[in-house]
Amino acid sequence: MIEFSNIDIIRNLLIATQWTILLSLAAFAGGITVALLLTAARLNKTPLLSIFVRIYVEVFQGTPLLMQMFLCFFGLSMISIEISAWNAAALSLTLFTSAFLVEIWRGCIDTLPKGQWEASRCLGLSFLQTLRYIILPQAIKTALAPSIGFSVQVVKGTALASVIGFVELTKAGSMLNNATFEPFKVFTFVAIIYFILCYPLSWTSKFLEKKFNASR
Amino acid sequence: MPLVKINDVHKYYGDLHVLKGVNLSIKQGEVICIIGRSGSGKSTLLRCMNGLEDYQKGGITVDYKEVTTEDIQVKALAKSVGMIFQNFNLFPHLTVGQNIMLAPTIVLKQSTEEARVVAKKMLTKVGLADKFDSYPEQLSGGQQQRVAIARALAMSPKVLLCDEITSALDPELVGEVLKVVEQLAEEGITLILVTHEMNFARDVSDRVVFMNQGKIWEEGPPKDIFEKPQTEELKLFVNSVL
Repeated sequence: MIEFSNIDIIRNLLIATQWTILLSLAAFAGGITVALLLTAARLNKTPLLSIFVRIYVEVFQGTPLLMQMFLCFFGLSMISIEISAWNAAALSLTLFTSAFLVEIWRGCIDTLPKGQWEASRCLGLSFLQTLRYIILPQAIKTALAPSIGFSVQVVKGTALASVIGFVELTKAGSMLNNATFEPFKVFTFVAIIYFILCYPLSWTSKFLEKKFNASR
Repeated sequence: MPLVKINDVHKYYGDLHVLKGVNLSIKQGEVICIIGRSGSGKSTLLRCMNGLEDYQKGGITVDYKEVTTEDIQVKALAKSVGMIFQNFNLFPHLTVGQNIMLAPTIVLKQSTEEARVVAKKMLTKVGLADKFDSYPEQLSGGQQQRVAIARALAMSPKVLLCDEITSALDPELVGEVLKVVEQLAEEGITLILVTHEMNFARDVSDRVVFMNQGKIWEEGPPKDIFEKPQTEELKLFVNSVL
């Protein structure tokens, strides 16, 4: 049996942490992109589109992320679409993230006075121009804190990718545990690394929230 | 052909019949004040004139364009009709200058330089030339409303719709806004104002329209409306506000 020193454990965990970070970034970038499209679709007055967004949000908020990941990974391969664990994890986290961001942003956009839309309309701005020049610049300010706050959920959500065999921080932790039989030590390290990843995010979120409230 | 033609317009909010067959023609250069109690439909009528509200029956044309709530029509109308709101509706994240220049650059495709010249000219007109780089929140209510007027004027509209533009202002700030509007009236722009400022209506307008229960109850020169009201409702209204 190979001996693992603490340094070995931490080094291996940190290597896997890179994948956790990468997966979080991919999920967040994908989530933001999809959420932007969904937000535009929701604000458009076409009823069919906004119903679609409502169902989308309900489905992805109302089912466990783990099920979504299973369905992406096993479900897609059942209809003979081969998908890697990375792709399945990134895809399901993107869908999950976008469903929550769309709801957060909805609140931020709906609190803007209706007069902003009306004034833009009277000046001849189109729907997308109003969104781009008037609504989004104002909504982003209020949306920033809760969105970054939610990114903590995304980082922690990546742990579920371990279940479909993607080697990120949690998976590396359980592999090291199998080799060392020191679960308390290994998973304490794992937890500390997650905390180090998440704490700056939640701190930033709180900081922005305070800053924004103070400026009002 | 009149600049604004409103022909038997009916509007419903669900079962509520808020406009019950309104007819009104407005000539180029006229200054019209619409007065009446709240709920009489005067703001709704104004908002129908540029497509902010739809109507179910009848027709409205402004500057030879049919008014509907379709985006393409509203966009076309924005070049003929400007609107000023009770709550100013300035864009708080943009400076005064950017507020005024936004639509001319995006909608009228003016260059930034052209738009800047126009914006400065309009700000001078409303007496706020030094506020170009201020943000709306740094201005008083009266100043914000004057910026809103400058913003509307920068689109060089033929008609300016004013929806109770002094109602949200502290009393001491009303005068500065009305002075600007009065000056516009003298310059010959067509003005349609929904207002509670009866002195203004009497002194500045060419014609006063009294609305009651979703209809035009009485209209005429301000002298007749205020001194010789024909109907009981207008008599009561005039007595209650003067």
